[in-house]
Amino acid sequence: MDFIMQGFADFGEKFYDNFIKDARWQYLTDGLANTLIITFLSIIIGLILGFLIAIVRSTHDKTGKLGFLNVIAKLYLTVIRGTPVVVQLLIIYFVIFGSFDIDKLIVAVIAFGLNSAAYVAEIVRSGIMSIDNGQFEAGSSLGLGYIQTMIYIILPQALKNVLPALANEFIVLLKETSVSGYIAISDLTKGGDIIRSLTYEAFLPLIAVAVIYLVMVMFLSFLVTKLERRLAKNDKR
Amino acid sequence: MINVNNLNKSFNELHVLKNITETIEKGEKVVIVGPSGSGKSTFLRCLNLMERPTSGEIFVDGVDITRLPEKEVNLIRRRMGMVFQHFNLFPHLTIKKNITLAPVKLKLMTQEEADRVAEELLAKVGLSDKAEQYPNQLSGGQKQRIAIARSLAMNPEIMLFDEPTSALDPEMVGEVLNLMKELADDGMTMVVVTHEMGFAREVASRVMFMDEGMIVEQNTPAEFFANPRSPRLKEFLSKVL
Repeated sequence: MDFIMQGFADFGEKFYDNFIKDARWQYLTDGLANTLIITFLSIIIGLILGFLIAIVRSTHDKTGKLGFLNVIAKLYLTVIRGTPVVVQLLIIYFVIFGSFDIDKLIVAVIAFGLNSAAYVAEIVRSGIMSIDNGQFEAGSSLGLGYIQTMIYIILPQALKNVLPALANEFIVLLKETSVSGYIAISDLTKGGDIIRSLTYEAFLPLIAVAVIYLVMVMFLSFLVTKLERRLAKNDKR
Repeated sequence: MINVNNLNKSFNELHVLKNITETIEKGEKVVIVGPSGSGKSTFLRCLNLMERPTSGEIFVDGVDITRLPEKEVNLIRRRMGMVFQHFNLFPHLTIKKNITLAPVKLKLMTQEEADRVAEELLAKVGLSDKAEQYPNQLSGGQKQRIAIARSLAMNPEIMLFDEPTSALDPEMVGEVLNLMKELADDGMTMVVVTHEMGFAREVASRVMFMDEGMIVEQNTPAEFFANPRSPRLKEFLSKVL
C-alpha cells in the first residue's frame, strides 16, 4: 500500500515540477499556439500555390500548352519532394533569409507552405486528371472556353474527389512542423524539450507533447472520416 | 451551311479520314452509318473541331474554322450543339443547372431567363419533374434527353449526334429517337452518327455510308436501303438489316 502511495506522491511531485512550477505548462500552450499558427498559414500558402501548379501541370498534360511553366513546376516538385523538409527550412532560414532580419515564424510559414504546395499540387493534379475527358468535351461543345470549363465543370468535381487526400496532407503537415525547433522557434515540440532541459526529466514533458499531437491528429482524422462519409453519401443521390 | 474540303485526319500512323469533301445544307438531316472504325465519329467530331483535322478545310457559312483562333472556335461551337454517346452530363450540378450553365456563364442570358428556357426545354423533353434532381438519379434515356435539352439551350443552328443511343438499354432507345424525330420535324439541321437503321430510313434526308475513312456511297434513304450500289454497302446492309 505504502509503495503505491509513494508512487503517486512521486508522480505528483514530478508533475508539479514539469508543468505547474514557474507556470511551465505555458511552454506547451505557447508552443502549441505557434504550431497551429505555422500549420494554418502554411496550409493557405500550400493550397493557393499548389492549385496554381496543378492547373499549370494538367493544362500542359491536356493541351500541350504552357511548356515553359510546366518545366519550372516540374523542377520545383522534384526539388521539394526530393529533399527533407528540415533541410529546406534550414536553407530558407540561413541561406535565403540569412542576411535579413525577419520573424522566424514567417520563415517557417514560407518553408512549410512551399513544401506543402508541392504535395497539394500533385494531389489536385491527380484529381483533375481523374475527371473523364467527356466533361471537357461537353464543356467546349457548349462553347465554354478552357478556363471556364476548368472553373465551373472540372475543378468542382476534382476537388470533391481529392478532399480527403488534401485533408490527410494537412494532418501530415501538422506533424512536420515539429522540426521548427531547428530554427529556434518555440513550437509545441520545442516547448516540451525546453521543459526537459529545465527539469532533467524526459518522460513527462515528451509524453505530454506526444499526447497533444496524437489528440489533434485523431480529432482531425475523425473529421476526415466524417467528410469522406458525407461525400460518399452525396455520390449515391 | 457546312462545306468540308479535302479533310484528312490521322492519329499517329493511323489514317482515319481520307480526303473527305462534303457539303451539308441548312435543314438537312444527314445520317452517317458504317462499321466500327470507319471514321464516322471522327468525321462528326471534326465538324465542331472536337478533333483537329490533320489537313483540309471546314467552312461554316463561308468561314474556314480550322484557321480560326481558339476563342473564335468557341463562338462557332456555340452555334453547333453536340450530343455524346455517354451523355457527359455534369454530375455535380442539378438537371436545371446542367442546362443553364453555359448560357449563363457565357452571358447570353440572365439566370432567370435561362431558368425559364430550361423549364420550356424540360417540358419539351418530357422531364419537367426532374429539374432539381442530379444526373445520377436518372435513367440512361432520361440522361440523353437532358443532354439534348442542354445543347438546345444554346439555341444551335445545327445538332451533331455522336451515336446517341449506343450506350442505352434497348428499351430506352425509343424515347431518345422520338425526341430526335421531333427535332427533325421542327426543321433542325442534324448530322447523326448511328447504328439505328430504322431512324435513318424514317428521318434522314440523306444517308451516308462510310468505310475505311471514306464516304463510299450516299443517297436518299429509300434508294440507299433498296438499291445499294457498292459491294461494301451491300455487305454492310446484309449484316445489319
